[in-house]
Amino acid sequence: MKKFTSTLIKPTRRQFLTSTAGALALASAPAIIRPAKAADNFKIGLFAALTGPASLFGPTQKACAELAVDQVNAAGGINDKKVELIVVDGGVSPADAAKTGIRLMLNEQVDFVVGSHDSAVRQALVAAFKGKLPYVYTPIYEGNECAPHTYVIADTPPQQLDLALPWLAQHSGMDTVYMIGNDYVWPQVLNKYAKGMIAKLGGKVVGEEYMPLGAPNKFEEVVTRIKAANPKLVFVTLVGGDNVNFNRTFAAFGADKITRLSSLLEENTLLGIGKENANNLYGAMSYYANIETPRNAAFKQAYAAKFGAKAPNLSLLGEDCYAGVKFTAAVANKAGSANTAAVAKAALNLTFEAPGGQWTMRANRHVDKDMHLADATGGSFKVIKSVANMASGQTCT
Amino acid sequence: MDPLILTQGLNVLFAVTLLVIIVLGLAVVFGWLGVMNLAHGEFIMLGAYAAVFTNQHGLPFILAVPLAMLVCGTVGWLVERILIRPLYARPFDLLLATWGLGILIREVVEAFYGGGFHNVPVPVAGAVDVLGASYPAYRLLIIALAAPLIGLMLWWYLKSSTGARVKAMVGNPELAQAVGIQTDVLARNTFIFGSLLAGLAGVVIAPLMSANPYMGLDFVITAFFAIIVGGLGSVLGLFVGSGIIGGLDSVVSAILNRTTAYLLVLAIAVFFLWLRPRGIFSRV
Repeated sequence: MKKFTSTLIKPTRRQFLTSTAGALALASAPAIIRPAKAADNFKIGLFAALTGPASLFGPTQKACAELAVDQVNAAGGINDKKVELIVVDGGVSPADAAKTGIRLMLNEQVDFVVGSHDSAVRQALVAAFKGKLPYVYTPIYEGNECAPHTYVIADTPPQQLDLALPWLAQHSGMDTVYMIGNDYVWPQVLNKYAKGMIAKLGGKVVGEEYMPLGAPNKFEEVVTRIKAANPKLVFVTLVGGDNVNFNRTFAAFGADKITRLSSLLEENTLLGIGKENANNLYGAMSYYANIETPRNAAFKQAYAAKFGAKAPNLSLLGEDCYAGVKFTAAVANKAGSANTAAVAKAALNLTFEAPGGQWTMRANRHVDKDMHLADATGGSFKVIKSVANMASGQTCT
Repeated sequence: MDPLILTQGLNVLFAVTLLVIIVLGLAVVFGWLGVMNLAHGEFIMLGAYAAVFTNQHGLPFILAVPLAMLVCGTVGWLVERILIRPLYARPFDLLLATWGLGILIREVVEAFYGGGFHNVPVPVAGAVDVLGASYPAYRLLIIALAAPLIGLMLWWYLKSSTGARVKAMVGNPELAQAVGIQTDVLARNTFIFGSLLAGLAGVVIAPLMSANPYMGLDFVITAFFAIIVGGLGSVLGLFVGSGIIGGLDSVVSAILNRTTAYLLVLAIAVFFLWLRPRGIFSRV
């Protein structure tokens, strides 16, 4: 009798220690071992420019993505799951971004990653993910990203230049072209592609200059040089503050009778350039905030309704995040899951809607998209030519 | 003369003038007080935003000057009292403190104006014909006005009694105090004066390059290069340093390209930091 009671009511020390240790271990186990709590949410990790040189666009990137998530959830979510957006900083060093990417993949267990950031970070993330989950890259870039399970919905150089250069050749002539850009991969790839097209259009490149990226650049000397060369067209692949300063200096020297094509000319840069300095300035991208289509009008209305008067300025770098989330919803719904193989199959020739137009994902994991050529004269964009379903020109298998 | 060479020549003159204007405030504060003000660029940025303010409210551009002086003078007075004065004897801590101050000013301006660009139209538009070369009127005006104003400042420094007191304070602070010069009042006023000069520089620069909260960082780098080369505490050093850095940058940009020019500027700065950290003309 005594023996029986003692076993029931007073467990041995060994039993007590083992059961307590087991309970503690379970309680503190990382999420991978514990059954995932919110398995009923479809998680999208968004890399936005919260800090860093492009942090100006962070607020609108986050806002556009949140709007897209709201709309997707209102339409029933993804595979009957509610979409949850996890926003992380893409404006950090590639090494830090890779760490964040791994955290998203293993700890938060996101289903998809959408990224709007520079190419160095993209390459670090591709290396970190190793194709284990679908990764959607959204911002306008230089092309050549062919990693498997990486879906690029960004504008590419062929899309920009196949539209802009032939039109400009007719409009202002392309006998002589001067190239000025920042010294990194995107301008160099753009220039390489442009040279091929210029030769085909019967033109000649009379100058090619690169300004260091991130240095305090002044443009009086190079503008004087360009003015003396008097080309028919200046192809400007400068970005950010350099793009602003170059165009302001160009106009100050009275050279703005010369046509300029800018590779990254969006609403904020144009504000900096100023309406009096934007004569004969053109851009070619897949989105401008004042494109007049019912689709864009609906998008802007929803954006204003959600964020009110303090809504961050709309531009391509923001709309691309909206499109990234919409693509994710379209492809994951079609695939029935976020499984990389199923997604790859479902992505082929999938058409989805973006405010800038209708886009179709192709076998090269890039999109055919509607592109718009705009004239920035007077300080606001006027679309003068649109071409639907332009091929990305990327040879990925 | 060939208009291209004449225009590039004017560009070199403009580059040096602009650098002198940017460096002036920092030369006063760093050279005379020994304060390494890493927030100098942000004071310039405040001046630029004074011009944004007057533009947004439809006021004439010239009113940005008193507004910038008011803002920068007030901020300078506050900063000197709260941040600089306790740390005069601790230069490294002062460096960190002014770096933090710069971040604070940037964040405050961004909170009010957002992170984007703000256009300030050039107050004097168009170009002027100079011996066959067409040169922007506003830039010519800057060159034309900078020389007499800086000359005035130099004359004041060399001839006035306050200038003499500053020289005394810089040369031998204890002795200056012993003869009755109120060095703490003088130091405070010198710092405010440096801030005013930075604000003025900002107003002048705003129409050239569009204001944005991060514009200050570029100025402080180039300004330090000029001071390193020219030397601390010396007015002649200020001009020589700006002349070498600004002039070299502009001449090589004109003949070759900007990348080579920037490389040379960096190389010269490294050389001076390594072999002659006191600069060419150093009084300290």
